[in-house]
Amino acid sequence: MWRSLLALTSVLVPSLAIAQTAGDPIRPLTIITQPQAADPREYQAAEIIADSWRKLGLTVNLRPLPGQQFSQVVWYERQRWDVTTWQMVGRPERGDPDELTYNLFVSANAANGYDFVGYMNPDYDKLAQAQRQELNFEKRKALVLQAQEMINEDQPYGFMVHPKNVVAFNKTVWDEKSFVPQAGIGIRSTWSWLNVAPLGAQKDVILNSVAPPTNLNPFNIPGQQGSWATEMVWDRLMRVGPDGLPQPWAAEKVERPDPLTVLVTLRKGMTWSDGKPVTIDDAIFSLQAPGFGDKSPMYKPFVRNIDSVTATGPDTLTIKLKAPDAAFLISSLAKLNLAPKHIWEPIFDDLKNKPQTAESIQEEKPVGSGPFRIVRAALNQEIVLEANPTHWAKPKVNRWIMRIMPNVEASLGALKSGEINFLADYTGDPQILRDLAKANPNIVVSEALDIGFKFLAYNERRPPFDSKGFRRALSAMIDRHLLAEDAWGGAAEPANSWVSPALEAWTAKGIVDRVPGAGSLEAAQKMLKDAGFVLVNGKLHYPAGVKETTAPYN
Amino acid sequence: MRGSNIWRFLKSEPFAVAGGAIYAVIILLAVLADRIAPYNPREILRVNRRIARYVPISPEFWLGTTAAGKDVLSQLIHGARAALEVGITAAVAVVAIGTLLGLLAGYLGGWVDKTVTRVADIVLGLPFLPSMLVLAALTHGGTSTVIITVTALLWPNTARVIRSQVLSLRERAWVEAARVTGCSNARIMFVHVLPQVLPLAALYGSVAIGWAILAEAAASFLGFGDPEVVSWGVMLQDAYANQALSRGAWNWFVPPGLAIVLMVLAGFMISRGSEKLLFPKLGDQ
Amino acid sequence: MARHIAERLGHLLLVLWVVASLTFLMFRLMPGDPTLNFLSPTFNEEMRAALLRGFGLDRPLWEQYLIYLGKLLTGDFGQSFLQNQPVSRLLWDALPNTVVLTLVSLVLAYGFGIVVGAFLAFKRGSVAEGFAIPMALATRAAPEFWLGMLLLALFAFQLGWFPTGGAVSPGGTMGTLTDRLTSGDFWWHLCLPALTLTLFLQGLPLLLMRATMLEVLNDEFITMARMKGLSRWSITMRHAARNALLPVVTAFALGLGASIGGNVVIETVFAWPGIGRVLVTAVQSSDYPLAQGAFIMIAFVLVVMNTVADLAYAALDPRVSVGARK
Repeated sequence: MWRSLLALTSVLVPSLAIAQTAGDPIRPLTIITQPQAADPREYQAAEIIADSWRKLGLTVNLRPLPGQQFSQVVWYERQRWDVTTWQMVGRPERGDPDELTYNLFVSANAANGYDFVGYMNPDYDKLAQAQRQELNFEKRKALVLQAQEMINEDQPYGFMVHPKNVVAFNKTVWDEKSFVPQAGIGIRSTWSWLNVAPLGAQKDVILNSVAPPTNLNPFNIPGQQGSWATEMVWDRLMRVGPDGLPQPWAAEKVERPDPLTVLVTLRKGMTWSDGKPVTIDDAIFSLQAPGFGDKSPMYKPFVRNIDSVTATGPDTLTIKLKAPDAAFLISSLAKLNLAPKHIWEPIFDDLKNKPQTAESIQEEKPVGSGPFRIVRAALNQEIVLEANPTHWAKPKVNRWIMRIMPNVEASLGALKSGEINFLADYTGDPQILRDLAKANPNIVVSEALDIGFKFLAYNERRPPFDSKGFRRALSAMIDRHLLAEDAWGGAAEPANSWVSPALEAWTAKGIVDRVPGAGSLEAAQKMLKDAGFVLVNGKLHYPAGVKETTAPYN
Repeated sequence: MRGSNIWRFLKSEPFAVAGGAIYAVIILLAVLADRIAPYNPREILRVNRRIARYVPISPEFWLGTTAAGKDVLSQLIHGARAALEVGITAAVAVVAIGTLLGLLAGYLGGWVDKTVTRVADIVLGLPFLPSMLVLAALTHGGTSTVIITVTALLWPNTARVIRSQVLSLRERAWVEAARVTGCSNARIMFVHVLPQVLPLAALYGSVAIGWAILAEAAASFLGFGDPEVVSWGVMLQDAYANQALSRGAWNWFVPPGLAIVLMVLAGFMISRGSEKLLFPKLGDQ
Repeated sequence: MARHIAERLGHLLLVLWVVASLTFLMFRLMPGDPTLNFLSPTFNEEMRAALLRGFGLDRPLWEQYLIYLGKLLTGDFGQSFLQNQPVSRLLWDALPNTVVLTLVSLVLAYGFGIVVGAFLAFKRGSVAEGFAIPMALATRAAPEFWLGMLLLALFAFQLGWFPTGGAVSPGGTMGTLTDRLTSGDFWWHLCLPALTLTLFLQGLPLLLMRATMLEVLNDEFITMARMKGLSRWSITMRHAARNALLPVVTAFALGLGASIGGNVVIETVFAWPGIGRVLVTAVQSSDYPLAQGAFIMIAFVLVVMNTVADLAYAALDPRVSVGARK
């Protein structure tokens, strides 16, 4: 009897021990993505990553969702998804890291804002706030670096890559040297369009866009490609220069005597495309209008910090801020469009008692004071701009034409045949473009690291993503170099921060190599073990006593 | 049947035989897919640590690899499975519903006939691909949507033809006899008339398989298929989205299309004898 | 006959109404929130509600339905969510492109099919027949878009003879219909999509013509004519062809209706700015009014062509008497 009892216990105890030391098996996890055809590279990256996560003993599924549904789920149903692919697009205004540093990770934005992963860290909140108000560059840089290290430690995102902007042009049409590269954007910049010199008979910039602009309205954001046009139709007080820093543009001079004051001297002699002169009232109106009620939701956040704007002379105004803001020049003055008060004030007045916002208004012939004027805009087909002869920075080209070509192949063919002379929007396989350039010596390809980045977002509202060790293990398994080389065909660089190396002033050097446990399966497994997770028969389980209470994505 | 009879039959209907042979091969591929396919169709293959992208035709990869490093040949073989699933399910559903409604309309006449014909006309007023597009957007796409759309939109053709035939059968003497001896309508329809129209229905089925596969291919191409399933339509969409055309990766986008052509062609050839099946509207009076 | 026409027209209206209603239902049930097109960091519930009100999506379903029907009758398809333009303008812009593509392809396909089909009817049992029939069937068995892909890969990418997509070269505009029709550039862009569609469509008229010719050639009154001493050629031309053409003409009308909808894939492959492509992009971005409008337009053409085919058949074929229909 003792023998059988012993035998029994020797069987029962270990199994009891196992049962006690491991929680429930982790449910199958789902990565939601855009449809494959929308971004084959991103989809492929997700496939590769899913593969590597399976090595940890997880069941991982990929689920592409059609465009609208995708945004809907990620943005409005924050309890529902596990992991999603996502990206932050590089815009000139994001040349200052403030916008992303603050919006992405500060707890206040977790419910409805850009912190859709639900990262809540009071230490980070303090850091983000501090860098926003620190006007001394060296001190601010130290804070931004610290923030990046903090995020590296906590891994709320599985950063993937910083994409490169791959563009191409015909060098028999354009003088190569006349393009002006902008940090984090490349040669497809407003500075290029203002400076590019035609070599031959063709004096128009003809470029492509994959997506049509949704509107041409100074109080609305028309999407990435549309903004290439609107940036030139409407001027701003400042512009982000080729070095990534804001410089005076429609303003002659901008001074900051103290942290809460900005003094602006308006450039003289500017006119609207309908002939009327640009006045200081227009400038004041443009800074105030986005704050009128909720009539300009896109731009309202950028004027939120403005306490008052007053004219101090025929060409000067003073802006008083509510709180110190290190990035105000680039995030607001280089962003807000100068709009004609005589056209838009009546519109805003009219909208006061209506539910629509100013964003829904579309002028027949939009009026701006920029270096280009709108000749013709059939949003789905093409936008035609012509050089503004009265502008001080008059372009050397006659017209700037953007053709909407949603078909990637068609745009390549158009470049080859000369139908377009600048390939501005290329979302396809970069190797094909490089091969095209090799076969066609007239075609020059230019690749520039972008300000933006692509990543996997871990939803911390749903276990096991609330476990720091779990997230670090997942991130460790992402082979960023492989993704950059293979999934993105070399048109990307590995990323481990929202600050792109293109922003030399702010980038944390070598942070990609500092991903905890990077590249090593053993290190990842150790991190999981340290966090309490248990591998049972090749399947990953929660720590002991933890039940799986979350339903799989459906 | 005696040997010489079989031989004579085969010789007289070469098209039907060829069609049958093609189907046999496809069925074989589908059933034995796991054994025959050299790789897992979903596996991202590597060559030294790098991903084996766009590998041309080579000894390791007989049809090369895709942009994501997956084996084209393995995907092609496994695609047979999806093709048969969609094809046969949809075909059976279309024929079943079409035959049933055609039978009822033809035999019972009156308001049943009127209703069925009206509904058929309305259904025929719905454009096929656009409807499938919209339905796929309603649900989240996938093979079941394709099957449902094909069934819902293609049954009228079968129904009309069956109805015609039933109309003429109805007047035959033996039906009259059955009625006189007190057989119920249901009994006459299903026990006596139905077996007579089944061969026609079956022939329709073989054509319907083809339509279903073409529909699935189109749906997948437009991005409304099920990307988790390995099917020929998804392969073509994959190739197109990854610019295989620009790359000249013929090894990727030609085989799946050929496979579809062969399978649909087989269906046509089997029903070769009856041209009326292919052009139904003009056949019925 | 007049009564028959009236009946068919009544039927047409009924079908149109049902199709319109079904469309309405389908689109209202579609998941995906159109307000997401305006997603921005500052988007809050209040703004979303205002947007929904602006689109009229906050009213009860039946009320939306009635408004919708009323507007349809006046040709008002509403305003596109995304493009701030009336849907009807976008549709009328795109429709001619689809119609031109379809008509050109159908005419070529049927022209080719009729001639070759008739020719094959004579050459019964020949080698040509043994080759041509599987070929015709094969083109019918191929996915349209795959044929398009093959032609694109060969003629546009490899050889560079034709553009790789679109309807017009950049810098030019797509003006009025006359502008397009007289523009060489437009026709050059039309070549590949039309060729693809023609290739796909010719199988049917070819086989059909052949089949009906064979039938007619064996027909009794042909034998009569031969007995009368008429030559084989005049028999063919005067009697057989004319009778054989009837089903083909009907098929043409039907083909027109069906192709308008089926062009969706061709237009996608070649980025041809027609109704089909409008529908696809509208569905993908949950632009209800536009998708709805495109769908209805396609269905409308289909139903009308079905009716035309029906009436043409009844009018042209002396053997079919209206009274014989039950």
